[in-house]
Parts: sequence; C-alpha cells; structure tokens
Amino acid sequence: MALESLDRSPPPFFRVGFAPLTKLIFFSALSLLLVFGDKQLQFTKPLRAGLSTLILPIQWLVLQPGEALSAMGSYFQNLDQAQKNLKAAELKVLQQSVRSQQVEQLQIENQNLRQLMGLQANMAVASQTAEVLFDVPDPYNQRIVLDRGLLKDVALGSPVIDAGGVVGQVTRVYPLTCEVTLLTDRDQSIPVLNSRTGARNITSGDVLAGQPMIELKFVPASADVKEGDLLTTSGIDGVYPAGLQVARISHIERRVDISFARIHASPLAELKGRHVLILQPTAASAPNKAKTP
Amino acid sequence: MIMSRREALLLPVSPWFIALSLLVSLLFSMLLGLSQALWLPDILAVSIFFWGIHQPRRVGMATTFILGLWMDVQQSSLLGQHALSYVVLNYFAFSMHRRLLWFPIKEQMLQIAPFFILSGAIGLLIRLSTGDDFPGWPMLLSPFIETLLWPVANFILLAPQRRAHDPDANRPI
Repeated sequence: MALESLDRSPPPFFRVGFAPLTKLIFFSALSLLLVFGDKQLQFTKPLRAGLSTLILPIQWLVLQPGEALSAMGSYFQNLDQAQKNLKAAELKVLQQSVRSQQVEQLQIENQNLRQLMGLQANMAVASQTAEVLFDVPDPYNQRIVLDRGLLKDVALGSPVIDAGGVVGQVTRVYPLTCEVTLLTDRDQSIPVLNSRTGARNITSGDVLAGQPMIELKFVPASADVKEGDLLTTSGIDGVYPAGLQVARISHIERRVDISFARIHASPLAELKGRHVLILQPTAASAPNKAKTP
Repeated sequence: MIMSRREALLLPVSPWFIALSLLVSLLFSMLLGLSQALWLPDILAVSIFFWGIHQPRRVGMATTFILGLWMDVQQSSLLGQHALSYVVLNYFAFSMHRRLLWFPIKEQMLQIAPFFILSGAIGLLIRLSTGDDFPGWPMLLSPFIETLLWPVANFILLAPQRRAHDPDANRPI
C-alpha cells in the first residue's frame, strides 16, 4: 500500500521517451545493418524497390524544371542548326543504307556458310528502346536510370547499347524504371575481343586523367596490342551478343618492372545520349539453354 | 527564450511549416543531386540540423532516419548511408540545442561546422569501407557551404515565427 503510493516514475510532464543516446545507438545500428545488408546480403531489395516506386512521382516533379529548360533551349535553337543536323542525319542514313545492303547479303552468305559448317546459327536478339531519365546522383559510381522496368519485362543483367556501342548492363530493376551501370563504372566488366588480333580480354571501368575510360585487365606486357584497336563483345559470357562495338584502345603503357601492360580504351558509346536500346541477355534467349531445366 | 541581446519574441512554430520546409529542402536536395556536382551543399542536412536545434521535440530521430532513407533510395547510394549521417547530425543538434542559441550567429556557425564535417565524413567513410573510390576533392567543400547556409536558414525558417501578430483592442501586446 505504502509502496504503491510512492510513484517513482517521473510525472507525465517530464516524460520524453528514450534517452537521445539510446535512440542514436538504435538508429545507427539499424543504418549500419541496412548498409551491410545492401552491400553484401541483398535483403534490402524489396525495401528499395518499394521506396523507389513511392518516390517516383516526386522524382518526376523534380525532373520537370530541367526538362522544361532543355525543351525551351531546343525551341530557340536556330533554324540553321536544325537544317545542318538534318543534312548530317541524311548523309549518315545514306552511308548506312549502302552498308546495310551489304550486310543483308553478307548475312545470307554467312547463314549459308554456317549451315554448311553445321555451326549454331546467330540469334536475333529481342530489344526495346528506352529513354534515359537521369544520371544517378550518387557520385561514387556511374549509373543511369531508364524509363523501362519490370512492367515492360526488363530483365536483370540485360545489356544496353546506343548508336555508338555498348553502354552497360541493367543492374537494378524496379517496377517502372531500371538502373544501368555504365561500362566505365569500376565494378562493371565486359569480356571483349580484339577485332584485329582475335585476342580475348576482360575490361573494367577506370578513370584516366578525369575521363571515364575502360581498362583492359591482365594483358601481358608483350601482347600484340596497338592504339586504335577495336574491341567488340566476344559473346562468351552469355550476356552480351557477340560483335557489339565496345571501345577503341587509346593509351598503352608498358613498364619494365610490371609484367602486365596498362591499357586504356575510350568507349564508343555516347554515354550521355537520350535514347538507348535494352537487349535481352543472350543466355535467356538461347534455344538450347531454354530446353534444359 | 531569454536572449543575451535584443531579439524579437518568436511566435509558436506551426508543425505544418516544419513539414513543408523539410519537404521543400528534400526536393532541393534531390534537384541539386541530379547535377552531380560534388561541392553542392546538402540542403536537407541543414534544415534537419536547424529544426534539431530549434524544435528538438518535433523533429526527432525517426523522422530524420526516414528522410535519410528517402535520400538513399533517390540517390541510389547504399541504403542507410544518408540515414546514418542525418541521425548523427540530429543527435548532436539535440545535445547542443540549449547552448547554441545563446551565441551570436557567427559563433554559432563556428560551433556547428564540425558537425557538418562529421556528417559528410560518415558518408564518405561508409563508402570507402565498402570498397568505393574517393569521388573527388570538391566534396570537401560542401560541409563549409552548408555552414555558410546557416544564417540563410535562420532567416528563412524563422520568418513565419517573426511575423508581428495583429494586436487589437483586447490583446494589446
């Protein structure tokens, strides 16, 4: 009785919940758990996908001022420039039409030869166009966001190309958008084929003198590599179709004390363009893979 | 609040204004992030710290944490990176909120600069420890620009509380 009348807890007037330090420790631990989960265990995927869909309308709102500005800029672009662009485009189409007619013939020829030799036929790759919404704000990596997502059947790992060549690979898919890691990102690798020598290499993104580049990894210092060599996808990874242009070699540094050469190549894709093409990963569309369970 | 110098008495704050100001600074942060310039300040961090100082009961750590998560998803950084730096910012704002406002604004800036630096450093350390490269020197500028924004935040965010309320015959003050 006497004990009950002695209320030891503070009156409601002073009650402020948990101590700030307790809250700090709780939320810090939660943040660190999320960081670790995001980096290593990937269990935060649904959380991220849900939140990103939630904030999409607001993101759209934020993008509008820039869109309006660029629309105004293009409206006031003078006629002269527009005509020049048109002329350049027409010239390009003409050049390409000559080439594409040759390609038709070569393709038939190639198909016949392949049939003769009993090789597996090259597959036509399904593709869809997408628009680049914005560059990912995170300064630590190089990614872009496209306006196609799960609802348009974008698969994780799909290669993305533009008019110049390979842009990168889809690394995150949300319901309405997807994120593409550019081939100049540190963590992005593409198996390539040197079209002059036929040597196979692997690349990874690198920054050289402030310019985003790709680096050829593990090339012996004595290897036959020249500046200007064209690198195309080799197609052995089961992701990129063979023969897409990737980059042209621009810097070679051979040093006596290191047994590997440092080779940098500049990507052929525009990387800052407005429209890109999302391809199906080749492993997903390969006929022999689809049959095996 | 008793002030050492002449200071207008402030009207009570409206919770809607706090929410609105946080939302607007969130939008600004999202917009500035899109430009990918490293030196640009994190406006959301400034307003979180500001409300942490002025209204610690209203803007708590849970709010801060959720805003941080939002920024993480929007910037596509590691989940929890902004959340952690904002939560730490909010904690230090709470721990110094009784003391800071006794100082003139320039001395306030001197005292809060370390916390903006700390909050930037937390984000950087998390990314470096998970194997990313240092993105560039201009990012070291942003905490100082955030500190320089403190008087601006004081001017804008306290403006609704500085309004002279309408005195009438029954309420002469």
